Amino acid sequence: MPARTFDVIVVGTGAGGGTVMKVLCEAGLSVCAINSGPRLEPAKHYQLHRQVYDLKYRGFGDPMRLKGKAHQEPYSVEESEYSEGKDLFEHDVAYSNGPGTDWYWKRCKATGGKANFWGRSSARYGDIDFKAADLDGFGENWPVDYAEISPWFSKAERYMGVASTVQNRPSNPDGEYLPPIPWRCIDYIIQKGAEKIGLPYLPDRCAQLTVAHNGHPACHYCGNCSRGCDVGAFFSPTWFTIPDAEATKNLTLLTNALVRRVLVDDAGMAKGVAYVDRATRQEVEVYSKVVVLAASCVETAHIMLNSKSRHWPTGIANSSGQLGRNLCDHLYGSPGYGYLPQLLGQPATPDSIADSTVAWMPRWQNLKNPREEKFVRGYSVYIGGGCGEFPGHYNQIEGFGAEYKRNIKRYYPTPIGALIQAPSLPSPTNYVDIDPEKKDIFGIPQIRFHFQWGQNELLMWEHSKQMMMDLFKAMGGEMWGADDEPNRPGTSLHETGVCRFGSDPKTSVTNKWAQTHDVPNLYICDASIFPSPTDKTTTMPIIAFAMRTCDYMLGNFSKGVHDRA
Amino acid sequence: MGGQGVERRDILRFIGIASVAGTFPGFSKWAFACAQTHGHAPVAATAQATPGPYKPLFFSPKHYQMVEYLAEMIIPADDTPGAKQAGVAEFIDFMVANRVPVSARRDVRSSDDAFEIGNEAQNRFLSGLDWINARSKSEFGHEFMDCAPELQKSLLEELAYKAKFKPTTESGREFFQFMRDYTVVGYYTTKIGLESLGYPGLRTVWPSMPGCSHPDDPEHIRLREPRSAHVSASNSTA
Repeated sequence: MPARTFDVIVVGTGAGGGTVMKVLCEAGLSVCAINSGPRLEPAKHYQLHRQVYDLKYRGFGDPMRLKGKAHQEPYSVEESEYSEGKDLFEHDVAYSNGPGTDWYWKRCKATGGKANFWGRSSARYGDIDFKAADLDGFGENWPVDYAEISPWFSKAERYMGVASTVQNRPSNPDGEYLPPIPWRCIDYIIQKGAEKIGLPYLPDRCAQLTVAHNGHPACHYCGNCSRGCDVGAFFSPTWFTIPDAEATKNLTLLTNALVRRVLVDDAGMAKGVAYVDRATRQEVEVYSKVVVLAASCVETAHIMLNSKSRHWPTGIANSSGQLGRNLCDHLYGSPGYGYLPQLLGQPATPDSIADSTVAWMPRWQNLKNPREEKFVRGYSVYIGGGCGEFPGHYNQIEGFGAEYKRNIKRYYPTPIGALIQAPSLPSPTNYVDIDPEKKDIFGIPQIRFHFQWGQNELLMWEHSKQMMMDLFKAMGGEMWGADDEPNRPGTSLHETGVCRFGSDPKTSVTNKWAQTHDVPNLYICDASIFPSPTDKTTTMPIIAFAMRTCDYMLGNFSKGVHDRA
Repeated sequence: MGGQGVERRDILRFIGIASVAGTFPGFSKWAFACAQTHGHAPVAATAQATPGPYKPLFFSPKHYQMVEYLAEMIIPADDTPGAKQAGVAEFIDFMVANRVPVSARRDVRSSDDAFEIGNEAQNRFLSGLDWINARSKSEFGHEFMDCAPELQKSLLEELAYKAKFKPTTESGREFFQFMRDYTVVGYYTTKIGLESLGYPGLRTVWPSMPGCSHPDDPEHIRLREPRSAHVSASNSTA
């Protein structure tokens, strides 16, 4: 590595990091992007039009493929043999769980990260989210309001392409949309049932290109979105931000480079980062005027907590003591599943080709009055179903033989299942820290999770089960059951917090621009800055906030704030 | 959503789309040679000729024959081919031999877990098949494969239908469900099985999302069940 000083180092190339690379490179800055794993190459890694019978293990994967790895739990995408197990996901760097914690940390280390495989739900946050603490008294407000952020949501939507409709719900603000995905039979039936009991069932805000957009082709509905897209018909860094950044020639992209700490100068300001080259296991330093961390929520805190120096004895930019605190997640689980008898025996319809994010039930609780339910805030519900890739309902039907086989087909268009998305409330007992004993194979101290579902989100979970019983009744459905327990924390991939932003340097890690209070040339562009989660997903807001932070940072560059002495 | 909807997430335990081209050792019947074109032409698939009799990796020839027979009893040929033609027995043998957790009742978090669950599956198959034979002998005086089809059917019915359950057959019932899991997964992950369902995803390029064709009847209350399906509805056991 030549002793060169970049304008900006960006750690991570996912939803946040990719956006930062694109915006700053296009503004003419020299950017060094550092990615923990290899380059993801769609032509090599995506072979999405294969069918399950083309797979050696029919989608189960070789159960011994991760033998000997430090972390053997698979990311859901790789469980399906989709990637041929070629090192796209993190299995070398282990993490710890504190007593009583069972966090499932899924990491894609290839360029583009988890945003290669995301669910594409792209709702805007509203003031009901930003000012939740004012409304119910829990936690901290966001240091921004909707009027300020709305233009950045528009910018993100225009760039990504989001399909939806105008719905006039202040809790779920409308944006700038491509034509919506047409509804399936199940959507009409569910919507009519929901309407009867006063629940919303509406087109989701889905980042899927229903028409060609910004040079990207329209979706061809192969149904494999969650395994990546082979033509870039929905937003992913691989197809959008990374090529845009590379086209400027201002980008230096380092791969298989695991950042372990931020380097500081004599004044305690950021001067670059040190990474471990995964191939040689050598430590390498890179220098820049500004460092942006976008390594994914918890990994960003991991790097910062490991960036100790005489200036920052508990981790860089941690004078507030909030670094690693306020870890939140979406509680996921199925509060109800069953079938729609109206559709028994109907011919198969292509219900799964849009990969299930056609419609959803945005938060409807505590809208009029923030304390009308036993819990505060609110959750959303996604419902998927219809003819899928596998007749998972076979287990609900008794027997064997010709009649059994006919019944599997008869029920094929009918099954539906709900998924709750319930935000956890920040809690002093939910946080990450550095494991005092364990180090990973590169000698880096491991991150350790401390997390349990709190009462508020568990009350939402119970509430959603009752709601689903009511909904099944109202839409003429039959219920087969519901999950006994919610999924393990971490399942949703929507972790937030750990570097929350705020106006007060005593209680937050960064200011409202995601610039750390303590180290003005250190910025954070991932969901770690979000002080509390909502009923909505994180990817589109990460992109919108990253665009906004870049705009602010570019202003600082032109004002000379980031000039080196 | 975090990568998948609930349906997706359930299904991902069973299914994937990826790329192991062509044929696999041991899969003489269900391996289909696929001409993959990446320009979005539909994938053309043709059944491959069976090169010779399949040699089981895990089961003894006698057990293998029984697995193949049971699978066909569970999913028989009717207007579409059954488990035997779809090569389900080969699937079961391969998955059990390789300890692939097709029907695991707990999380698989490591290769050690998979190994342990795989060993359990192997034992469950061996003891389950033996249980069926022992039951058949005590009820009918012959091993299962030597009994008349009506007797075989009645033995299985006692394990499959709640109304016909007998006391002290819990382990047999459990094995039946286990065997059925493997059979159904094996069958509906073949082209034969997916075609018999009419799985729309066999077509991989659609000009647009077709959507519901009865928006004038949003509740779908005027929808009639087609007669062919209705016949089975009259004696449905679901």
